[in-house]
Amino acid sequence: MPNVQSVGRRNIFSTVVGQIVAHNWAFFFLILMVGIFSIVGSGFLSITNFQNILHLATGPLLLAAAETFVVITGGIDLSIGFIMGMSSVLCGKLIQLLTSSGASISTSILVGCMAGLLISLIPGMINGLLISRFNVPPFIATLGMLGICNGITLKICKGFSISNLPDSLTSIGNSYVLYVHPEKGVTFFHKPDYLADTQIRELIRLIPVSIIFSIGVLLFLWYVLKYRKFGRHTYAIGGSMDASIRAGINVKRHLVLVYTLSSFLAGLAGVFNVFQTGIGNYSTFSAMYELFAVAAVVIGGASLSGGKGRIIGTAIGVLVLKVLENGLAISGVLPFYRYIAVGVLLIIAVIIDQLFPDLF
Amino acid sequence: MNTLSHKNGKIALSILGKQWVFLFLILEALYFILRATGFFSIETLQMIFFYGTEVFLLATAELLVIITGGIDLSVGYVMGFATVVSSKLMVLFGQLGLSPLVCILVAIALTLLVGIIPGWVNGCLVARLHVPPFIATFSMLGVTHGISELLLQGIPAKNLPQLAGDIGNGYFLYYIPEGRVLSFFVRPLVRRGQHVVALIPNIVVLSFIFVGIIAFILKRTKFGQHVYAMGGNIDAAIRAGINVKKDIIRVYILSSFFASLAGISYVLKYITGKADAGATLLLDAIAAVVIGGASMFGGSGTVWRTILGCILIATLETGLRMMGTPTFDKYILVGVILIFAVIIERFFPGRNP
Repeated sequence: MPNVQSVGRRNIFSTVVGQIVAHNWAFFFLILMVGIFSIVGSGFLSITNFQNILHLATGPLLLAAAETFVVITGGIDLSIGFIMGMSSVLCGKLIQLLTSSGASISTSILVGCMAGLLISLIPGMINGLLISRFNVPPFIATLGMLGICNGITLKICKGFSISNLPDSLTSIGNSYVLYVHPEKGVTFFHKPDYLADTQIRELIRLIPVSIIFSIGVLLFLWYVLKYRKFGRHTYAIGGSMDASIRAGINVKRHLVLVYTLSSFLAGLAGVFNVFQTGIGNYSTFSAMYELFAVAAVVIGGASLSGGKGRIIGTAIGVLVLKVLENGLAISGVLPFYRYIAVGVLLIIAVIIDQLFPDLF
Repeated sequence: MNTLSHKNGKIALSILGKQWVFLFLILEALYFILRATGFFSIETLQMIFFYGTEVFLLATAELLVIITGGIDLSVGYVMGFATVVSSKLMVLFGQLGLSPLVCILVAIALTLLVGIIPGWVNGCLVARLHVPPFIATFSMLGVTHGISELLLQGIPAKNLPQLAGDIGNGYFLYYIPEGRVLSFFVRPLVRRGQHVVALIPNIVVLSFIFVGIIAFILKRTKFGQHVYAMGGNIDAAIRAGINVKKDIIRVYILSSFFASLAGISYVLKYITGKADAGATLLLDAIAAVVIGGASMFGGSGTVWRTILGCILIATLETGLRMMGTPTFDKYILVGVILIFAVIIERFFPGRNP
C-alpha cells in the first residue's frame, strides 16, 4: 500500500511540475533562447538590443493582443494585418496632404491619427456584423475584409509607401524617456542640447516611448480581459456559445464589439507604425502579420477552438518570435531559417498543449 | 393560383441561389464587353484561362482539403517551393549536359515527388497528432518558404532551358487563315503580314487533365465518397469503418501535389522560380472554392463549381486589366464577392447539393 501511495504522490508531483513547465513552456523557452543567444551572438546581451527588440515588437504586440480577443471567442481575424496597413497609409496620406496644403504640423498629425484610428473601426464592425448577424464563418468574413482593405489601401497609396512626412513624427515615435550623458547629465524626452557628434555616441538612451505605449495598452487589455465583465463574456462565448446565450449574454453585440476592438487595435498599430518609421507603410501579402499574430497567440497557450488564452501568454509568444528573429540575425544565421523555426515552434506549441491538458 | 405563383417564385429563387455564380459571370462578361475594348475575342478568353491556370490548380487543391472540413494555408508557398525546386533541378541537369526535354521531364517528375512531402507532413500532423489544420499548414507555409529561400539564396532562378518557355507559352493548335496552314504544337513560320491564330494553350490543357482526374476521383471513386463523408460528419465516418487517418493524409498529399503542379505551370510559363510565387494566390484559391459553393465546415463542394469560381475571379482580373484600372480593384471586388457568396448561401434555400 505505501508503495502505491508513494507512486501516486510522485505522479502527482511530477505532473504538477510538468504541468507548470508545460503551461508556461513558452516562458521557459524564451529564457533558454535568451541564454543561448547571449552566448552565441556577440552584442545580443545588451540593454540597447533588448530595447530594440521591444521597440520593434510594438506592432506585433498590438496585433497579437487584438487576435487574442478574437481567438478566445473561438473566431479568427485574418484582416488585422491589412487594417494596420490601411490606417497607416491613410494616416500618412492625410498628414502629407495637410502639411503640403499649409496646415500646421501638429494639427495635421492630430487629424491624420484620428482619421487612421476612426477608419480602423469600420472593417471590424462590418466583420462583427457579418459574423454575428449573417452567420458568415469568421474565416471567410475576415478573409473577404482582408481583400477589401488591401484593395482600398493600394488605391489610397497607389502601390508606394507614403513618404515626405514631417520629421517630428519619427522624433516622437523613436524618442526615449531618459537620455543619460556622462558629462551633460540627464534629460527627459529630448536629447541634451548642444551635443557634438562624438558626444552623441556616448549618449545612453533608456526606455523607448514605444515600450511604455505598448505596455500601457497591454496592461489595459489584460485588465479588461481578466477583471471586467467584457473579458468574462469573451471567455464565456468561446467556451460555449449556447450556454452564454442562455446565460443572457448579448452574444451578437459582444461579437461585434470584439471584432471592432480587434480592428481598432490593428489601426492603433498602423498609426503607431507611422510614428516609428516616418512613412505610411502598406502591408504586403508576404508580410503575413495576421498569421504571425495567430502564431504568437497559439504559442502563448490559446486554443483555436476558443475559450482559452491570456494577454501575458500572447505577449510572451510575440517576444519568443521577436527574440528568435533578432537572435538569429545577430548570430549571423541566414534570415530564412526564421520561417522554418517559427513553423517548428508552432507545431511544438500545439503538441505540448495536447499532451498536457489543463490542470489549472 | 396565388400559391402556384408563390411556389414558382420559390423555385426561381432557389435556382437563382444555386446558379448565381453563372448569372454573375454572364453579367460580368457583358459589362467588360461593353466597357473594355477588345474584351470580346478568342484571345481574351484564352488569356483568362492561361493566366488562371495556377488558381485552377490551387483551388482544386484547396477544395479537397475544405471538403474534409480543414484548410490548407500552405498551398501558395508549396507552389513557390515547387517552382524553386523544379527550376533549380532544370538548371542543374542542364549543366550536367542532358538534353533540354529530358531535363524538364526529370525535373518535373522529381519536383512532384518532393512536392508531396509537405502534404504528407501536414496530413500526419492533422490526422495523427491532432494539430488543427490552420496551425499545421501555417507552419508548413513557414517551413517551405524558408527552404525555398535557402535554395535560392535571394536570387530568382535563371538560365532555364528555352524549351521550358516554349512548352509553357505554346499552343496546342496554330492556324494561318490566309495560307490555310494548320500545325500542332509547333509555331509555323510566318511570312510578313500574315496572321497566326493560336488556339488552346498547352498549359491549360494539361491543368484541365489533372483537374478532370480530381473531379472523377471525387465523384466516382470510393475515396471521393470518403472525403465527403469525413467532411460531413467525422464521427459517423469513423463508425462507418472509413480509415479516416489514412484518407486525411491522402487528401493533404493530393493538395500539395496540386500545389506543386501549379508551381510547375508557373515555371513553364514565366521561366523562373520564386519563393513567393504563390503568395497572393492563396486568397484567390480560397475565394474560388467558397464562391463555388463549398462550405468551410466541410462536406460539400464540387470541382466544376470551384472552376466556375476561378473563372469568375480570372475574368474579373483580366477585364479590369484591359479597362486600364489597376488590379487594386480586384482585391476589393474578390473580397466583396467572397462575403456575398456566403450570405447568398445562407439566404437562399436548397443551395447545397
